[in-house]
Amino acid sequence: MSIDGLFPHPVLYIHGIPINDTVLQALLIVVVLGAFAIVTSRRYRAWGPRPWQLAVEYLVETIENLIRDTAGRPLPELVPFLTTMILFIGVSNILGIFPLLQAPTRDLNTTMALSVVALGSWIYFGVRANGLGGYLHTFIEPVFLMMPLNVLGYFSRLLSMTLRLFGNIVAAETIGAVLFALVPVLGPLPLTLLGLITSVLQALVFTMLTFVFIVDAMGQEEELADGTARSAP
Amino acid sequence: MSEAARFAIVTTIVVGAATVLGSIIPTLMEGRAVVRAFDNMARQPSVADRIRGLLFVVMAILESGAIYVLLICLILLFANPFREMLGL
Repeated sequence: MSIDGLFPHPVLYIHGIPINDTVLQALLIVVVLGAFAIVTSRRYRAWGPRPWQLAVEYLVETIENLIRDTAGRPLPELVPFLTTMILFIGVSNILGIFPLLQAPTRDLNTTMALSVVALGSWIYFGVRANGLGGYLHTFIEPVFLMMPLNVLGYFSRLLSMTLRLFGNIVAAETIGAVLFALVPVLGPLPLTLLGLITSVLQALVFTMLTFVFIVDAMGQEEELADGTARSAP
Repeated sequence: MSEAARFAIVTTIVVGAATVLGSIIPTLMEGRAVVRAFDNMARQPSVADRIRGLLFVVMAILESGAIYVLLICLILLFANPFREMLGL
């Protein structure tokens, strides 16, 4: 029994650089989701909305409520980024359902790229909220000696997010492959259904972790007694 | 016993032991988290929805400990770097 079909393999070469099939699958998701977003925003109707417009609004409102409940204050600048992230990761994790496609997140490169994007977002929103000096000051936060530990903490978050997403998706696909070898057609069915649930859940977990660390980098705003707010990282 | 047989037996035993330990311990810890969450959801039904939302996220994070063990076991079984070192 060979499970070589699980691992990403090059399908075409550009100037000698191998392009894996996961790159093409991720590009497909980007194109499809982007087209869907453009069409949705073009045909936006404030009165008499269509059902799929309501579905999209429901998703965005869910993300907004999640942000407000978890951070205590609404952060509208995070909504597009987090919605894109959860849509992309959610769709790419369940892409194995479609006949000739497989999840691009089964490739460690894809998940590492997503984690690097999250890392960039922590730095970006942290600098945007506190300024460059203020953000660098958070590394020295409790004691000056904590600086290497804080930096190491960023890398450990990066690694754990990458491996968590990668491991879940590879495990789901491996279970599907093994069961498919045992019982030809209907074998993978029950555990594939479980795999769908964990796939979407892992997209939510990745997005929530990114969001929580963004809020952590931005610092908490505290309401003082006279109603003014100050930022306290 | 030949090299290949010994390699296969040791790999199998290690993977089996790692799977047993790596699936019992995270499951126990997740069970403790769930029990505490349910107790508090029953105690304060008004925040039950917030607790439920965070419970799923925390359980997925706890699950990642088991996923790390699974990854190492998959690497040992299917992409073992010592296999071509031994010429198998």
